[in-house]
Amino acid sequence: MASSGNKNINAKLVLLGDVGAGKSSLVLRFVKGQFVEFQESTIGAAFFSQTVAVNDATVKFEIWDTAGQERYHSLAPMYYRGAAAAIIVYDISNQASFDRAKKWVQELQAQGNPNMVMALAGNKSDLLDARKVESEEAQTYAQENGLFFLETSAKTAANVNEIFYEIAKRLPRLQQTPNPSGMVLVDRPAERANTASCCS
Amino acid sequence: MSSRSPTTTLDDEEEALEEEAESPVQLNAINGSFSEEIVAEGDDDFVEDQHFESNSKAESSGVNEEISYTWRNVPEIDEVERPLSPGSSGYAGEMGSTSGGDEINDDDEDNSDIREVEFDGVSGSQSQWVSGKRHADEDDASVSWRKRKKHFFILSHSGKPIYSRYGDEHKLAGFSATLQAIISFVENGGDRVNLVRAGKHQVVFLVKGPIYLVCISCTEEPYESLKGQLELLHGQMILILTKSVNRCFEKNPKFDMTSLLGGTDAVFSSLIHSFSWNPATFLHAYSCLPLACATRQAAASILQDVAGSGVLFALLMCKHKVISLVSAQKASLHPDDILLLSNFIMSSESFRTSESFSPICLPRYNPMAFLYAYVHYFDIDTYLILLTTSSDAFYHLKDCRIRIESVLLNSNVLSEVQRSLVDGGMHIEDLLVEPTSRAGAVSSHLGQPRPGVSAPGRMADGFVGGIGGPAGLWHFIYRSIYLDQYVSSEFSSPINSLRQQKRLYRAYQKLYSSMHDKGIGPHKTQFRRDENYGRSFLFYPVALRMN
Repeated sequence: MASSGNKNINAKLVLLGDVGAGKSSLVLRFVKGQFVEFQESTIGAAFFSQTVAVNDATVKFEIWDTAGQERYHSLAPMYYRGAAAAIIVYDISNQASFDRAKKWVQELQAQGNPNMVMALAGNKSDLLDARKVESEEAQTYAQENGLFFLETSAKTAANVNEIFYEIAKRLPRLQQTPNPSGMVLVDRPAERANTASCCS
Repeated sequence: MSSRSPTTTLDDEEEALEEEAESPVQLNAINGSFSEEIVAEGDDDFVEDQHFESNSKAESSGVNEEISYTWRNVPEIDEVERPLSPGSSGYAGEMGSTSGGDEINDDDEDNSDIREVEFDGVSGSQSQWVSGKRHADEDDASVSWRKRKKHFFILSHSGKPIYSRYGDEHKLAGFSATLQAIISFVENGGDRVNLVRAGKHQVVFLVKGPIYLVCISCTEEPYESLKGQLELLHGQMILILTKSVNRCFEKNPKFDMTSLLGGTDAVFSSLIHSFSWNPATFLHAYSCLPLACATRQAAASILQDVAGSGVLFALLMCKHKVISLVSAQKASLHPDDILLLSNFIMSSESFRTSESFSPICLPRYNPMAFLYAYVHYFDIDTYLILLTTSSDAFYHLKDCRIRIESVLLNSNVLSEVQRSLVDGGMHIEDLLVEPTSRAGAVSSHLGQPRPGVSAPGRMADGFVGGIGGPAGLWHFIYRSIYLDQYVSSEFSSPINSLRQQKRLYRAYQKLYSSMHDKGIGPHKTQFRRDENYGRSFLFYPVALRMN
């Protein structure tokens, strides 16, 4: 759940989508600036955090990169419960992954937080020759369902930061945030306190 | 053949396996220096010619006590070696000395007639080795597929393929159906098929409810070993899916399980690989990374702190070796679960990218339910596993990890771990030359992981007294029944090549199996001679009981 400490917002974000759509690749591009051609499949879910500055506020994303494997589907609520945002990822060269993305959207609409910011990412946009899902089709679908849509490429980094920034901008708490009040350090002090206490 | 008196080595120890290897030339010299001499010419099969019945080992039995079908008309031939040209094998020279054998790259395919198989052995690192399924293009019509020395299959009771070590499961549908037909044919007669021998091949069957597991092997491993490997393979599947997957078959007998195991080829192939180098797979014991007592205590105490707060099991591991292990309540972690869990984590690259929170099932702890595993790598080899029953515990476990990490850093545990990894385990030479300085390392190694149970440095003392010189003891494995742990020496100079190491491994495997055979009983000392490459290996399993 997005929670604001003045202009610092912690936002839980979950990535959902079919096996091989590129969820992990998107996250790794966003968080670490890395890309590997043959990303191993995710087990369960991997946790990342990354902070972005939007306007005059700071959003700390707590990102859950979930596994697309079928055996983990029933466990997805564990990861998207309480999420402020979701990115539903499909592979533009794979129609089945787009169908799967629609199912995730349905599930989130039925189960998730109604204020959740949802983004639809058509990943692998560098594979133009292999395109199976037209961007107009996805755009239309996104509009009908209240998502925002971007075609991304973790490989070339196209639109990767953009999609996270766009989410950060749309987070409800941020829009409602009152006037900026002084300077705030990020989460560091809390972490230090933790570290100190365990040395005893 | 020569022997040293067992009493000179491992006094007061519960059970030990050791072996000695020497060339014939050295053999004579050694014969002179020891009192006993046993001639066992042409008795290569002494150990392995035992009849295989249900394994009496406590951990692995109790599941099935069926009578095995053993068609043993063909006398056992000791593992026949094909001519090896060292340069072509892909094994030569790549091996450092490590008892862990992460670098042992190929396993049962010491089969020089398939070059591409050996190509797999060239890669020096585990990450290169574990690349999921190999030879996926093959099927049962391929000549190369038929020549593989060891196949593993998992199929459903309706004959649908679930996993095959080699080849594409879907292309092997016909073959799977054949296996299923054999199993159900015997079952229809009110019986159960355990083992079929066909020439050099053994076909081992294991039925686990709606899941059938089959191994086809010409590696001359004992039936018990192969069956144990199938049990582990099944355990690995349970770890990923829990046993409740059986319900899918109740609803739909033709259920296709392959999709549920998507992305886990590397997990299974790495487990199968470990059958050929990791003694934990047949000893049902785990091994610890050698560390100074204080270092391990520092790790144990912070894990203990954490375990009080809703963590069921906390494990700090370095590769496949345990640094420290703590469990809450009275729960205990079975060594097989440790093996399967660490295999699962190490073979899944995904755990290395970040901290993870995943459902996993410990088949020996509770095969029906998922636990949740928080996994975090501190460095490339060292990782922390925190297991909990609560699916909401991630942030708590993350905090625990931060506390643990800072303690480990402040007390230099992680750097000590790295140093231990570089130093390797116990070296026979060091034991001989500097018994006192090593003795401390040995005892802290054995004494720590389970507080309250101690195994003081008797073992080291035993070596000091019993070894007649650098050529005496060449390698050993010691397994403690009380601790569920084993320790082995590093491979040292006589056992240089990967091939020799593997032969030694196989010999231990056979020995272990025969020692736990009802026909022999655990107290009997055995001798085994194994002549290959102009080298004789002598094995002394020693089972001593402490009063």
